[in-house]
Amino acid sequence: MKIKYLLYFALVLIAALSIAAAPEDVIEIHKAATHLVPISITGFESDVESVLAFDLSVLGMEVTSPDKAEYQVGGSQNGRLEGNLKAAGTDHPLWARAYAGGAIRAQAHAFANDIVKEIRGTPPIFQTRIAFRRQEGSSTEIAASDFDGYSVTVLTHDGSLVDGPSWMPGGRGLFYTLWKNGGEEILEHNLSSGERRVFAGYPGANLSPEVSPDGKKVAMILSRSGSPNLWVGNIDGGGLLQLTHTRDEDSCPTWSPDSREICFVCRSGRAGLQKVSASGGATRPVPLTGVAGNNLTSPDWSPDGKWLAFTFGSGSFTICVAPAEGGEAQKLVAGEDPCWAPNSRTIVFCRRASNKRILCLLDVPTKRVKDVRQISGSCSEPAWAR
Amino acid sequence: MKNANLIGKLLFTMTLAATLTGCKHRPPMTTNIPESGTRPQAGSGGTTPDNGGVTSTTPASGTDIPLSNGNYTTLFNGGGVEDATKFAADTIYFDFDSSTIKASEESKLQELANYFKDNKKFEGLIIQGNCDARGTEKYNLSLGERRALAAREYLANLGVDPQRLKTMTFGASKPVDTGTDESAYKKNRRDDFVLVTPK
Repeated sequence: MKIKYLLYFALVLIAALSIAAAPEDVIEIHKAATHLVPISITGFESDVESVLAFDLSVLGMEVTSPDKAEYQVGGSQNGRLEGNLKAAGTDHPLWARAYAGGAIRAQAHAFANDIVKEIRGTPPIFQTRIAFRRQEGSSTEIAASDFDGYSVTVLTHDGSLVDGPSWMPGGRGLFYTLWKNGGEEILEHNLSSGERRVFAGYPGANLSPEVSPDGKKVAMILSRSGSPNLWVGNIDGGGLLQLTHTRDEDSCPTWSPDSREICFVCRSGRAGLQKVSASGGATRPVPLTGVAGNNLTSPDWSPDGKWLAFTFGSGSFTICVAPAEGGEAQKLVAGEDPCWAPNSRTIVFCRRASNKRILCLLDVPTKRVKDVRQISGSCSEPAWAR
Repeated sequence: MKNANLIGKLLFTMTLAATLTGCKHRPPMTTNIPESGTRPQAGSGGTTPDNGGVTSTTPASGTDIPLSNGNYTTLFNGGGVEDATKFAADTIYFDFDSSTIKASEESKLQELANYFKDNKKFEGLIIQGNCDARGTEKYNLSLGERRALAAREYLANLGVDPQRLKTMTFGASKPVDTGTDESAYKKNRRDDFVLVTPK
């Protein structure tokens, strides 16, 4: 028996030494979420290098020299992108891959997605889009861009006022409020055909549409009953249901990922976070500690269901994150209007600079912030397609 | 036999691993990036509002004024001419983060009420609620609407037909002063009143 085990042990040792790091045989241990990972990037230039450096730093990595790095990114870019990832102190790369087709920036983003999957184990976000409200002069329009602020497309040309957008699942379209013809209406905007239809144009305010993650319903703020209250309707415009009946202003709905609950802002003294079932019933305050004494607004429920990000303050604002069921809120960085990326780790938010608003990306566990590429105009109310 | 099996499995694993890590001899796995697909289309037009069916409403508590679109639709939906100067002096102001009508503003609302009580031309009034920049944008939109509704309720209680009173909100999007101190903020926390005369 003993000999058998000894033989087994010896073989395992040989196998372990000779295979270095074959993915199938290694239990994946991802770096602790809060650990700022030193990483080096060599072999690339211009766009590829800058895309990799930006993307990896968005996910809490710090670009450094190869001798100080825990991971080394290498490869080449002759016609197509070839990249590999190596853990420091090992002879062989964890893997090597090539990226063909599309633009060189897209290839670099795909490579960065693979690196992040290996090191962080989080879902890819570097080929996703964000939509936001952009003000230039006195008019505001809806625009969309890559998550890093590149490839901006202006989607409305009404020369009027719009409110921040909400994506339909899968990025098929957007819902937003447009002020036109003496009133404001909630529109559904199909992004493949460009066609728009009025989703809600009731007497009084029609504000803040939020499409449910299953794409079947829309939460919104209507004042048709005499006060700005939370309502929900079917995506086809029917089946309207009033969920709150307060005298004060309700605002800022966000859906739970299972599309069953809505978190929103309701005043009881200060503005605070409440929850209600999307099919109606009693509203319940989200019990939070660490954020007393000022307004809590603009909640956004993380796609994994675990967290609520929201804005603390009035005048000066702080991005906060708390467990979705309530508990201790963490104040993270200065800014407002947070929205989670599909990875439930990254947040896009807006900060105020001199008479202008700028979109920024926050890596929640490491609290690192990066501005997206400079976009002309004042950009706010970002929504991440997910 | 057990040993042979074990050794066989390990050898297989080693061979497999060597194959998988042998990057030098094989072309690397290639990820194909799709060409960027159909570009998102900018918006065009809009269709008639689909008001949908209201399946459940519960009346709000308190002294709510119904927001029926009743007989004011033609006046407010393209049937009227707007005049923002007539009541410019009657703009009312609010405290920070509040939609309560202040005692100092009541005489302006009384003036407006008197105008509409004696009004035989069936003119209407658009009440536009605004906020200072010290709130997040969607919160300010709801607060602005609440401020407009506060004035509407006040005027209705003074006897003005609520069908003539339409509310709107601009949140913090239409400041009269873009400064970032209280002297600017207090001018922005306001309801503006726009007279609408039938065409």
